[in-house]
Amino acid sequence: MTAAAIPSDRATPRVAILPWYVAATLVAATSAKVGIIWDISWHRSIGRDTFWTPAHMAIYLGGVLAGTACGWLALRTTFAASGQDRDASVRFWGFRAPLGAWVCVWGALAMITSGPFDNWWHNAYGLDVKVLSPPHVILALGLWAIQLGALFLVLSLQNRTVATPRLYGVLAAYMIAILLQNVATIGIEQIGFANLAHNALYYLVAAGAVPLLLVAAGRGVRLRWSATVAAAAYMAFSLVMIWVLQLFPATPKLAPVFNPVRHMVPPPFPLLLVPVGLAIDLVMQRVGPERDWRLSALLGAAFVAVFFVTQWFFAEFLLTPYARNFLFGVDQWDYSSRVGPWRYRFWRIDTNPVTPRSLLLAALVAVVSARVGLWWGNWMARLRR
Amino acid sequence: MKSPAPRLAALAGIVLVASGHVGSPDTYFEGAAGPYPVRVIVRSPGVVPGLAQITVRLLAAHTVRRVLVLPVYWDPRTAAPPPPDVADPVPGDATLYSAALWLMTGGSYSVQVTVEGEAGAGTTLVPVMAVATQRLELATPLGVALLGLGAFLVLGALSLVGAAVRESGLEPGATPDRRRTRRARIAMGVSTAVVAGALLGGRAWWNAVDAAYRSGLYRPPDATATVRMQGEGRVLRVAIDDTSWTSSRRQWTPLVPDHGHLMHLFLVRDSSLDGFAHLHPLPLDSTTFEAALPPLAAGRYRVYADIVHESGFAQTLVASVELGTPASTWRLSDPDDAWTSGTGKGETRNVSDLADGSAMVWERGDAPLVVDRDAPLRFAVRTADGKPAVLEPYMGMAGHAMIARQDGEVFVHLHPAGTISLAALETFVLRQPGDTVRGALGKRLRAMQTGMREPGAVGSGVVSFPYAFPKPGQYRIWVQVKRAGRILTGAFSTEVDAAPPPAP
Repeated sequence: MTAAAIPSDRATPRVAILPWYVAATLVAATSAKVGIIWDISWHRSIGRDTFWTPAHMAIYLGGVLAGTACGWLALRTTFAASGQDRDASVRFWGFRAPLGAWVCVWGALAMITSGPFDNWWHNAYGLDVKVLSPPHVILALGLWAIQLGALFLVLSLQNRTVATPRLYGVLAAYMIAILLQNVATIGIEQIGFANLAHNALYYLVAAGAVPLLLVAAGRGVRLRWSATVAAAAYMAFSLVMIWVLQLFPATPKLAPVFNPVRHMVPPPFPLLLVPVGLAIDLVMQRVGPERDWRLSALLGAAFVAVFFVTQWFFAEFLLTPYARNFLFGVDQWDYSSRVGPWRYRFWRIDTNPVTPRSLLLAALVAVVSARVGLWWGNWMARLRR
Repeated sequence: MKSPAPRLAALAGIVLVASGHVGSPDTYFEGAAGPYPVRVIVRSPGVVPGLAQITVRLLAAHTVRRVLVLPVYWDPRTAAPPPPDVADPVPGDATLYSAALWLMTGGSYSVQVTVEGEAGAGTTLVPVMAVATQRLELATPLGVALLGLGAFLVLGALSLVGAAVRESGLEPGATPDRRRTRRARIAMGVSTAVVAGALLGGRAWWNAVDAAYRSGLYRPPDATATVRMQGEGRVLRVAIDDTSWTSSRRQWTPLVPDHGHLMHLFLVRDSSLDGFAHLHPLPLDSTTFEAALPPLAAGRYRVYADIVHESGFAQTLVASVELGTPASTWRLSDPDDAWTSGTGKGETRNVSDLADGSAMVWERGDAPLVVDRDAPLRFAVRTADGKPAVLEPYMGMAGHAMIARQDGEVFVHLHPAGTISLAALETFVLRQPGDTVRGALGKRLRAMQTGMREPGAVGSGVVSFPYAFPKPGQYRIWVQVKRAGRILTGAFSTEVDAAPPPAP
């Protein structure tokens, strides 16, 4: 396995030092993600927004912080860096900086591009009716780039360090958790609400997205329980957002108001991914890296087995009155929802039921997802600059 | 057979029309919020959902604490309306307040304007139609800037892939060998194909959104106007032949009468704008309306038909008709029908002789009329001996004004209360939760209008209309009043200038 390659003595810190620019990108990635979750809650609770809402500010802060920190780093590495720093960089249009920094700069530029484009879009086609629009996709690409850039910077530190301090591993697992949060945000209509957990698409979508990230963490992040840590960080991130958002009062400001919400509507309860992470870590600890196809098959099967059992029953719990409290934060709906008995039912179970065949398909998708995760994890384990 | 001309006219109407009126999407309202007389202007955003700009001007000296505005989209299942917005005082103008209105759904809104001050609180409703009427073009500088940034991002992404494959896995200080360089080139080649595919997909997506948006732009239902002889007279028939109207799954709510008439129809002679008629066709069925045609001179006429729905949605149907030689007789199908040959005799820049020997004077002042600025549409009727004429209400109003731009791009029907439809206002005032049953509200409204007392006579002989012209150009204005039981029509021509460019 290439991840085990012995790092060079050059440019290899032996203690866990977190360079300022890495810290800046981690804060930026966190700020942007908090902003996105906050903004979605804002649209579900208050409805109208301006350029200057705090949620938007948190997103912009992510872009500005990552862009300026990494832009400055590129200038310094190109023109004024020590040999060590220059050696640990890649060339880009004649300039030098670590790969992660370039990805962050690209992300900040994408975010800047999306601004005027989005503004024109609103004036031409109306204010956002759909979350998915071309300017929003460019914004999302920019945010992903900032998150990936931060991950790459941490990984290159981790991979250049002889002693492999746990700090870098934990931070890399945290960045994987942020990427899992992206999956939760984009897939809110497929895998977000517990009411969806008894239909086939739910398992298919989860099988496509989750193994890729957790398996990549298992391969690329140097922790004994890296997938478990990433899964736990993902769940913790959601829970903090759920608990904090509920503390803020909110009044809908757009007619028609069908559901008079009184505080910020939190995101759905996170997927129960810690058992899945444990399963992935256990399988990866027992099957070596030499047979990645076989490993993928095992990981895919393990994912669907554990995920299906845990989510199926846990979702049933989330629809009971015992979950309708501050701790779980469920049964809270948009101001524009016409609340009814559908809140406590499983959706689309007639049109899209879970069958052995659908679970088999989900397992196949999970195998492919795990295989891609291993490829990506192998690349992450080799990342030095 | 349908000639191509009306179709062309209708096509032109598609992009130019705004609901309720043609080419004049903004709402002008003058009325009273309790004890406070106000003039309200709502500038349409042209898109839905969109932000309309509302201004509230206080027309009398009052100490006002604050002005609140709230757009209400009626739905009986609504839990509670959102809190109203506090309009900001406009700096430098003590009587003007401004706010943004969030119009999220297409259709008819009632905007609640509340004024709080020394005389207590007073509220008025202003009907506003929210429809998408335009698609903003991508201005060249912005397009070029976005294209440049996009190219930068695409090239940057490809370079990033190259750098990642070539160098990112190397030990610090090591130089990429030929194998890595070659692999980086291959990766960049593959990425180019992927990015090109993504760009093509993005383009197709954008085009699909654009096409869907354009197909959803508001246009009034198609209507056809025809003329036939009946006995000695001529009859004008307007048929609403749009599938959205005639199909069994009709999307529109039933029509409600606006000052006693289901349809107010205007005939304006094409190009010369001399002949003009204001008729009130009677419904034969839910799609066909007929009126006896006055002896207008032969020629092509534009047809504008105002209708109001139970939902409060007001719209203007647009058609065109060729009139032959006038018939010898005209028996009015409605006592409120009126027409003028508009030959221009006895008409000057600001005086128009009326049929009963009196004269209408446009008190316009000397300043030129400018687009988007309050137009001084104030008209005084003087008797032959120069005294103010006593005016009677004409269909519940002191007067009606119709304004048409020479090329037909603008047509608007005004009252002293502004561009709003009074029937739309009445539907908002009368509406109850049970009014989801179609036709229920219309019945109540009809009963109310039948028993309604006409407002008193206008002793001063002066009528005025709040409005601002939406486009520069040559306009014709017809003002109709009633005196001694006779409907009188004054006509004026004027030029409206473009707004001067902002001072540097």
